[in-house]
Amino acid sequence: MGSTSRTLEITVLSCEDLRIGRKWVKKNTYVMVRTDPLNYRATKMDTEGGAYPSWNQRLSIEMPLHERFITLEVHCKTASGDKTIGTARMPATDFMGGYLPENYLNFLSYRLRDAKGERNGIVNVSVKANLPEYLSSNDNDKKVSEINACSMTSKPAPAIPIEDGKNFGFVTGIPIWSKNHV
Amino acid sequence: MGNCFSDEAGGKAAVGGTSSAAGGGAAAAANDAIDYYFKSRGFHGIFSQIELSFSATKLRDRDVLSKSDPMVVVYTKAKDGPPTEVFRTEVVLNSLNPTWIMKYAITFQFEVVQTLLFHVYDVDTQFHNVDVKMIKLDEQQFLGEASCALSENPFLVISKTVESGIPIPVCKTEVLKNDHNPIWKPIFLNIQQVGSKDSPLVIEFYNFNSSGKHDLIGEVRKSLADLEKLHSSGKGENLFSPNAGGHDRNKVLKSQLFVDKFSESIQYTFLDYLKGGCELNFMVAIDFTASNGNPRLPDSLHYLDPSGRLNAYQQAIVEVGEVLQFYDSDKRFPAWGFGARPIDGPVSHCFNLNGSNNHCEVDGIQGIMMSYSSALLNVSLAGPTLFGPVISTAALIASHSLANGGKKYFVLLIITDGVVTDLQETKDAIVKASDLPLSILIVGVGGADFKEMEILDADKGERLESSTGRVASRDIVQFVSFRHIQGGQISVVQGLLAELPTQFLTYMRSRDIQPNFLIL
Repeated sequence: MGSTSRTLEITVLSCEDLRIGRKWVKKNTYVMVRTDPLNYRATKMDTEGGAYPSWNQRLSIEMPLHERFITLEVHCKTASGDKTIGTARMPATDFMGGYLPENYLNFLSYRLRDAKGERNGIVNVSVKANLPEYLSSNDNDKKVSEINACSMTSKPAPAIPIEDGKNFGFVTGIPIWSKNHV
Repeated sequence: MGNCFSDEAGGKAAVGGTSSAAGGGAAAAANDAIDYYFKSRGFHGIFSQIELSFSATKLRDRDVLSKSDPMVVVYTKAKDGPPTEVFRTEVVLNSLNPTWIMKYAITFQFEVVQTLLFHVYDVDTQFHNVDVKMIKLDEQQFLGEASCALSENPFLVISKTVESGIPIPVCKTEVLKNDHNPIWKPIFLNIQQVGSKDSPLVIEFYNFNSSGKHDLIGEVRKSLADLEKLHSSGKGENLFSPNAGGHDRNKVLKSQLFVDKFSESIQYTFLDYLKGGCELNFMVAIDFTASNGNPRLPDSLHYLDPSGRLNAYQQAIVEVGEVLQFYDSDKRFPAWGFGARPIDGPVSHCFNLNGSNNHCEVDGIQGIMMSYSSALLNVSLAGPTLFGPVISTAALIASHSLANGGKKYFVLLIITDGVVTDLQETKDAIVKASDLPLSILIVGVGGADFKEMEILDADKGERLESSTGRVASRDIVQFVSFRHIQGGQISVVQGLLAELPTQFLTYMRSRDIQPNFLIL
């Protein structure tokens, strides 16, 4: 058994060149970070940046391992209500897996598109995927020598129960080696 | 009720009370006289004269037989106090969209929040010939009201003082709109810009004027060290207005400047990182496409001149390599060719220059030159021109190094004679590599038109976008055309390496990586 999700630290940095219709956005924008329709976090509202808002706000969100994308939605509170003015999808492979080390601080930027599919600016974020708890080690200088290897732990890991009500129907088993293991 | 009035547009001129009037003679005398006029009416300190004119649209029609006959009454209101009437316009007859002729001259004082209140009344016919001052407002029909505060758009200018006495501006804050208790965004200063932490600075407080002639409200004279003390004490420092007190003295104002944040940090330079143990790793990729021309013929870009004269490729390798190898500790460089068919093989867009199947590295610049010469004998030039594979291979090396905890920064030199065949493929590879410790230097040799290639160098255009919608995290490409450099003022090296420190530092600083100073 093991953890079925990872904690992501997503710092929503800023956006560039946001428009509604043809005009530049004046104010009151915020960003929603979503893994699915029910699991999301939102930044505070930017009131001063206009078409170039910035938040520099860190959001923590749990991402189930089977999810392949994080959706970034830029919203604007206008006189006629809350509008989603741009969306981008961030593939999990951009910040997890691949050849990058665990805990790498990724700086990522994406093209935003509006509901009609037209380009509407850029969103800038930084993402750090935290190791599932039982894989973290006391040794801060550990090196990951293989692409998908897990780290060497110096003590046996505690058992992690599967969270109630969140049984997704499959289990990810990741073997653990201890120092004493030959 | 609609209301509009002109303030800044209606002519706002700073009169008297501003800092040191330049020049003497009549101009100075006139200022003295105006100064005295205002002082005698209780206006001290810095002020501006504003004229308000009034008009209104879509007023309600109260009269049965004709339209309303409106008049404006203006009140000033100090914070939390009752309104005080200060002015009345004339009565305009029979209009729901009046423009009044009488204008109100108001003296705008920085230090006091001045709220204005406007009431519009419909004046009953029987009072139309009465002096407006005599009209009793409670006998008239009230049409509506509006209020506003006189706008205050402050910003700061920080200047260093020099021997000649005239302060030289070093930086300034943004202009805040309509703010009597301004809090500006942080400003960043290099201590070198002002001299030292103890150098005296002048911090001037201005009110923004759209005419460009900003009103000086007051100033403070402090060094950076003084500002640091002010921050830690939490106290405010009173502004003073120079030469506004009597007898050429400075008048201390009630407004205070507070330092909300003060932090000092060391900004390391490129050289600091290199001295501190960060390594530059040089990698090179050479274009072997057929457009270079048959290497055996003298007009080919790949011609190896028996006299020893270096061709364009060799020159670029030597010039760039010699600088970069200085910072590469093991002097072993990955070297590739692309766009050619190695003996008995299909076209490869990333083959090891040394001819090996297992490893891509060569020893030193000499190693590159030797592998290059022998590769020319062992491959058939082909095409098309694709950078994606060599960029991806270099990116893989960079990320493996990261995964192993290395503090290396990689520099890939691509030498090419032509325009890339698939620009989007190249953009995709660059975007994917843009968050790695990697810079890509591209030298264009020969006579081709490299206009399209300049798109890859983001300072000449927009941020690169991949086909999947990801945008480059930073600009990691520098493109230089050899032809433009030759005979010019700068060398190929200078053109290519100009951006390298910035690209490197952006990477390091964004991650808060500091140089590790090796203790020997």
